[in-house]
Amino acid sequence: MTDAAASTTRRTALYDEHLALGARMVPFAGFEMPVQYAGILKEHEAVRKRAGIFDLSHMAQFELSGPGVGAWADALTINHVANMKPGQARYNIFTNERGGAHDDVLFYRLGPENWLLVVNAANATKMWDYLNASLTPGVKLANRQGRAALIAVQGPRAAQIVAPLLTDEVQRAAMRAMRYYTCAPAIFGDVETNEALLARTGYTGEDGFEIFLADGAEAPPLWRRLLEVGAAYGLEPAGLGARDMLRLEAGMPLYGFELGEDISPLAGGQRWAVKFDKPYFVGKEALMVQASQDEYDRFVALRLDGRVPPRTGYRVFAGGECVGEVRSASLGPSVGAYIATALVRKSASTAGTLLHVEVRGTLHEARVVPLPFYRRA
Amino acid sequence: MTQPDSYLYSKEHEWLKVDGDVGIIGITDYAQDSLGDIVYVELPRLGALVKQFASVGVIESVKAVSDLFSPVGGEVVEVNTELDADPALVNREPFTGGWLFKLRLADPSQRDGLLSAADYSALVAAEH
Repeated sequence: MTDAAASTTRRTALYDEHLALGARMVPFAGFEMPVQYAGILKEHEAVRKRAGIFDLSHMAQFELSGPGVGAWADALTINHVANMKPGQARYNIFTNERGGAHDDVLFYRLGPENWLLVVNAANATKMWDYLNASLTPGVKLANRQGRAALIAVQGPRAAQIVAPLLTDEVQRAAMRAMRYYTCAPAIFGDVETNEALLARTGYTGEDGFEIFLADGAEAPPLWRRLLEVGAAYGLEPAGLGARDMLRLEAGMPLYGFELGEDISPLAGGQRWAVKFDKPYFVGKEALMVQASQDEYDRFVALRLDGRVPPRTGYRVFAGGECVGEVRSASLGPSVGAYIATALVRKSASTAGTLLHVEVRGTLHEARVVPLPFYRRA
Repeated sequence: MTQPDSYLYSKEHEWLKVDGDVGIIGITDYAQDSLGDIVYVELPRLGALVKQFASVGVIESVKAVSDLFSPVGGEVVEVNTELDADPALVNREPFTGGWLFKLRLADPSQRDGLLSAADYSALVAAEH
């Protein structure tokens, strides 16, 4: 890494923790992040069978406040925002006029006029500029990326690990009762944090929690204590490598692969999140045309049962004709096969279709399967 | 894991152990650690004639595809079929059980183009 790269790459509040755990660090979206600790396969197994702990503090956290947030956001996104209740989290996509995606995000409604918007680290600058340029009266926007922290604990034992750190039994009971995609304030009395935001959300397909800390300085004690308490439950630190494998198995899109400025939510598989009943949103007309014509190239999930791994960019064939290319690809240990997504023409996209992926000049069978590849029990 | 003194090494992080006119080839501990979990190995065909430093196959980890180069030239006489079902053997035993292929050396003097264990250690230290 050159000196120039070193001086412009930022560190999260947990950087020293990762080094102490022997993590392999890589530059990612402007931050030095752990790609793995004990190894991607071991970390993947920990999350599926027990629990993993992730540092996601590189992600951009924007604070939205004011009476106009709901209506403002509804005009810029595909999914409903104004009708979210306090304590609700919801997936959404900010679109461009062509119906392509600026970013996929999570909205967390904290109160009648207070929201947290979590944006992909790679799109932080683009989204910050775009949202600021689109602000209307009644909406205030603040950026806490880099100052705030985000720790995720994901896996079947996540609740058992997080519970002891909460201040009292009332909080613990509330935590256990949280439904998926809800959020609530929480205080981790065990390490004396200020009020944190606890959300039952995640990017792995397992049960789990995301813990938002406004002050990154509170992250190291919480991280260390979670690892201490979690040791008895088999909690392991997990990095970006495992994270990508887990989310792909769970059928979750990654911006830049299944979504992009030129890839609409219809093509990307998020038709369920497009609410045409909203009177207006950026790109609505383009999406309505796409939906009614139904001719667009779209994503399929592919399962390859051979020994040869598919990779991003490899061409996909149907009956000898190239119909698209591989986007995301990974071993899917929970699936017992290699898995991939590919953007292909509509005629090749029906579940059950047999396609071929070209690997170094040889064609290998790939079956179109429904998403997700993996679903937790 | 320190590299065996009796082996020779290439700049591409392969090792060569010579036994008469047959050379055994694998990748080093540094290489397997850098690659991460190895999931697939594509080895040269039996009988293939390979040139020194040519790309003869592929080692794939979870995150990346890496070319496999041969530190010397010769005829491929055996490949490690254990790696079909257990590619992670390369991670666990890079210098022993995780060997990749064997070849009959075309030109023993090609070994002069390789590094000693000490020189290889220095190379690795510099790359860190």
